[in-house]
Amino acid sequence: MNVLIVEDEISLSNEIASFLKAENFLCDLALTGREASEKIAINLYDFVLLDLGLPDYNGLDLIKEARKIGSEASFIIITAKGAVEDKVKGLDLGADDYLPKPFALAELHSRINAVARRKFNIDDQNIKLGEFVMQLKSRKLFCKEQEVDLTKKEFDLLQYLVLNKSRVLTRQQLYEHIWGNILDDQYDSNFIDVHIKNLRKKLNNHAPSPWLDTVRGVGYWVSTE
Amino acid sequence: MMRLKTKLALFNLLSKLIFTALFLLLLPLVIERINLRQVDSDLVKKREQVIGLISKIGIEPFMASDTTGSFGSYNILKEEFISLERVNLNHDMNYIEVTNRLIEEEEISYRVLNYTITIDGKKYLLEIGKSLTSILSSRKNIYKVIVIFLILIIIITFLTDLQYNRILLRPLGKITNKLKGISDPSSFNMTPVSTTTSDFYKLDQTLRELMKNIGQLFDKEKEITDNVSHELLTPISVLRSKLENLLISKDMDSEIAGKIEESLKTLHRLQTLVNSLLFIARIESRQYLMEDSFYINEVLKEIISEIIPVAEDKGIILKEEPEQDFQFMNANRSLIFSMFFNVINNAVKNTSQGGIVLIKSHFLYDRFNIAISDNGKGMPKEQIDTLFSRFKAKMDVNEAGTGIGLAIAKTIADFHRMVITVTSEVGKGTSFSFLFPENS
Repeated sequence: MNVLIVEDEISLSNEIASFLKAENFLCDLALTGREASEKIAINLYDFVLLDLGLPDYNGLDLIKEARKIGSEASFIIITAKGAVEDKVKGLDLGADDYLPKPFALAELHSRINAVARRKFNIDDQNIKLGEFVMQLKSRKLFCKEQEVDLTKKEFDLLQYLVLNKSRVLTRQQLYEHIWGNILDDQYDSNFIDVHIKNLRKKLNNHAPSPWLDTVRGVGYWVSTE
Repeated sequence: MMRLKTKLALFNLLSKLIFTALFLLLLPLVIERINLRQVDSDLVKKREQVIGLISKIGIEPFMASDTTGSFGSYNILKEEFISLERVNLNHDMNYIEVTNRLIEEEEISYRVLNYTITIDGKKYLLEIGKSLTSILSSRKNIYKVIVIFLILIIIITFLTDLQYNRILLRPLGKITNKLKGISDPSSFNMTPVSTTTSDFYKLDQTLRELMKNIGQLFDKEKEITDNVSHELLTPISVLRSKLENLLISKDMDSEIAGKIEESLKTLHRLQTLVNSLLFIARIESRQYLMEDSFYINEVLKEIISEIIPVAEDKGIILKEEPEQDFQFMNANRSLIFSMFFNVINNAVKNTSQGGIVLIKSHFLYDRFNIAISDNGKGMPKEQIDTLFSRFKAKMDVNEAGTGIGLAIAKTIADFHRMVITVTSEVGKGTSFSFLFPENS
């Protein structure tokens, strides 16, 4: 998939690009609004990662322009301004998602995936995990035709790990994904550990789950077989 | 509290009643004086007539009619009389007085003019009397008419005053209505209130200017938070992406991975701190909308379901005792969620194994109240005082973070016009109480 990264902070766009390239995306960079405007007009992109704080352009205008010329690119707004109304405006203008900086690259990846699933109608994807099957659309987990009873947060946690398969996610990244709206610097890594522990217990009641693995001192990951 | 227009109308009514009462008190005196003066001048006129008659036809015709040598005449209704008799007096008389006369066995009050005339060296006393009965009865009638008239006047003016005040104070009502339910200067109606009263015009104008200024200040603050946000969060963002990319690279040494994770943790703390301060600034500059209506117990249930696994893991009972529920109108649900999440999470963290965190909801008189209490370690008074400040001095070195979660909770409560009170006792536990405003 083709991605245009519109971001004036070059070291950040390089990091995003190198991460996405490893995920088999084709990445293009634009450092200014004008450059982005030209590139959107000429090339076909599946995704545009758009920073709203561009020096020469109001980022929201880029969405309007793109829609005017009939571009079907999905816009994901990434911004450090974090103004509440920018989010509303951006989504009103037809942006597909909004991600405040600083974000985890894994979070960006899962957002792009979510938008892609909606866009290409592959919502009914089933993911196989050992003896388990995860249904993304119905948000259910099955083991040998039997549903595993998970809470909303447990499913979110597992889905996030599954969508970032074979990548270690730190407790912070997981916490941020699940409780991103809660700001508390007394944040407790225990929170994630407890949820993973409960999740494992529930999984193991049905079948062993060696694929949900702990990386000591770092975090958790779902390994590919 | 009383409405201004009611106060004005009542004051007008009261002052009218006082003046009328005074007037009615003085009225009899005035009427009597006026009447007597009228009677007196009548009597003097009659006297002149009689004197004129005497000088024309002489005193004899009067005296001759009676053997007693005196003359008296009164009309049938005994309203007036004239008498003329000879007297042996050394001095002259000329005065008017009120006396009672017995006429045909009936005692009647008269106003009597006494006057001596000297004719041919003989002195005669002329008395002209006028009955006061008619005067008294006419006075009563006049009094009645005046009282009825005044009562009518008072009622009519009270009603017109009420109406007039209402029309007069209508602009003021509009101005106060504009201020009702304003949580943000941008929602203030900037169209001027039409009025011909200069005071109201000035009031309205001043309010509009004030709102405009506050609005501009808010806009400026918003711009500052936006810029600060961008400047501080961009470098954190760059660092974070670099570290994360390092962490996922293959052939990573586990020791180095651990160190990178440590760095990410520190960076995350910085990020949370910056975000928390910006969050507080954004709430204070009113960038969050207050448009949600929701039930509080439903929010609490959601929070409890998220925290309960941690509580159970720690061996703590986390229990809700909802006695009553409350629909919070014009509030921000996600902010209220954050506030209670922080406080309940905090309570669970500060309670040790076997403890209880209890959440009670009920009405205190007409206001809804949520109490979150634990039987954890509690805190000394000095700590309560600084509990909600952004950078409180740490009481416990083992405590993680700067405790900005409670500062956020306080900011959200203030934003929603809620009152937080904390009671705590060392070794016994802490209780937070959230008093909700009345829905407007």
